[in-house]
Amino acid sequence: MEEQLAELAAQVAALQAGGGVTNTMFAETYYFLSIPLMVLIHAGFLAYEMGASRMKNVLSSGVKNLLAFAFIMPTFYFFGWWVYWAFPTGFTLSEGPAAISGAGYANAIAWGWGESAQYMGPNIADQASGVFWAAFAMFAATTASIMSGAVIERIQTVGFVILAIVLGSFAWVVAAAWGWHADGWLVTQWGVHDFGAAGLVHAVAGFFALGVLINLGPRIGKFNADGSANHIPGHNMPFTVVGLMMIIVGFFGFLMACVIVPGEAWSWFGDKPSTIYGTPITLSALGFNILMAVGGGIIGAWVVTRDPFWMMSGALAGIISVASGLDLYYPALTFIIAVSAGLLLKPAADFLENRGIDDAVGAVTVHGTIGLYGVVMLGIFGAGFPALQGAAGEVPTISLIGQIVGAVVFFLLGFVPGYVVSLLLKAMGMLRVPEGAERAGLDTVKVPAQGYPEGIPASNPASR
Amino acid sequence: MGFPYSEASWSVVDGAMFMGWGSGMPGVYTAIAAVVCLAVLFFGNRSEHDRYGDHD
Repeated sequence: MEEQLAELAAQVAALQAGGGVTNTMFAETYYFLSIPLMVLIHAGFLAYEMGASRMKNVLSSGVKNLLAFAFIMPTFYFFGWWVYWAFPTGFTLSEGPAAISGAGYANAIAWGWGESAQYMGPNIADQASGVFWAAFAMFAATTASIMSGAVIERIQTVGFVILAIVLGSFAWVVAAAWGWHADGWLVTQWGVHDFGAAGLVHAVAGFFALGVLINLGPRIGKFNADGSANHIPGHNMPFTVVGLMMIIVGFFGFLMACVIVPGEAWSWFGDKPSTIYGTPITLSALGFNILMAVGGGIIGAWVVTRDPFWMMSGALAGIISVASGLDLYYPALTFIIAVSAGLLLKPAADFLENRGIDDAVGAVTVHGTIGLYGVVMLGIFGAGFPALQGAAGEVPTISLIGQIVGAVVFFLLGFVPGYVVSLLLKAMGMLRVPEGAERAGLDTVKVPAQGYPEGIPASNPASR
Repeated sequence: MGFPYSEASWSVVDGAMFMGWGSGMPGVYTAIAAVVCLAVLFFGNRSEHDRYGDHD
């Protein structure tokens, strides 16, 4: 009998060990697969902004976008990851209540030297750090790509790369530390809830772009002497529209990476998935709500514009408008909010254009304005829901005031560094290309290749 | 530099397993990589401005 019990215990132990291995491999694979999906976001942005460029600038726009991606990776490795873990409690860099933040903690796990280097490279005992780092690095590159499209056809390449590094490896990372991390002061003190990063990724990047655009100025020919605006069509709208659809595909990777899988030492729960705040979520929730948001955003934009560019921008706006609460919204409510975002999109873009802002792809509106709209909408519809895992009365709840505070902070974290750093670059002569180069076309000036050696035929547009 | 464990066998590996682990080399590599990025930006900016020279 004792032998049988011992054998049974050994079999149970072996099963538990096997289950643990399977769970760990699943967790690692889950985040690993989110990475190539998020690369699709960048493929999409690349196509999007190249299509939105005139033929004389198409390759230059592509080079700029590729370099942003390339420089975000090492700089996020050098210091961006450290910022995420060091900054949650604010500029004091002190440890928060969950004891997974502050300069001491970041020094222990997020530097590429000394003892902490063990978590920043191949390690058979650590199947989490690399995939988490990579997922966050892709979020970082997304912010740079958002800004990239807004500034096409007149920004200097190196000046742009410096801005991309400031945005992707610092500004949005601070926003994530404050508004996403379980020790983030916006979360613990104000109950800010931004599950899908409408504010801390999209709004920060969108308003960073606005700060840059103010100093960069419009493209030659965008505005007339009386202040009225001209439409400068990109050379390839099909390319742009397909690029936007690729971004939608990539969003599934972006949003699945926002889910914390169960059963690991770093998981919130042993038996159920959670958001980064430790609140419950399912991938089914994302299935319902992402697709309803895409449909709503397209329909809203179609009603106002009939234009495929704005329809696909509406799809992005639809997702962004509900991203903060994709874990909590009822799908029909998701659809309603997404339709409203699609309706708002073009008037909001026109509002900026009427004030002399030349945002070539509508990035400030789609990501900035709609991002903040989404953060605030959750404060209206989600008020009273616990914002963080914990006992009733001990954790903050979602509120309109809290979400507005979060929206203001995200705006400032984007706009202020974007404006200040671009102003410095302008003073150093590193922001805008010379007028002669802009008129000649940036491909001719600095890209030793041709986008379309044989030319492409053009057709006249239909009347509205 | 060599294998970062006392025995040259994977069976004793229970943690970090990259080249340079246990020495100061990861920090040296990180510093060199950072310098490469800075140098590319510096010289890239100079090259870019040279190209603008004909179009001022």
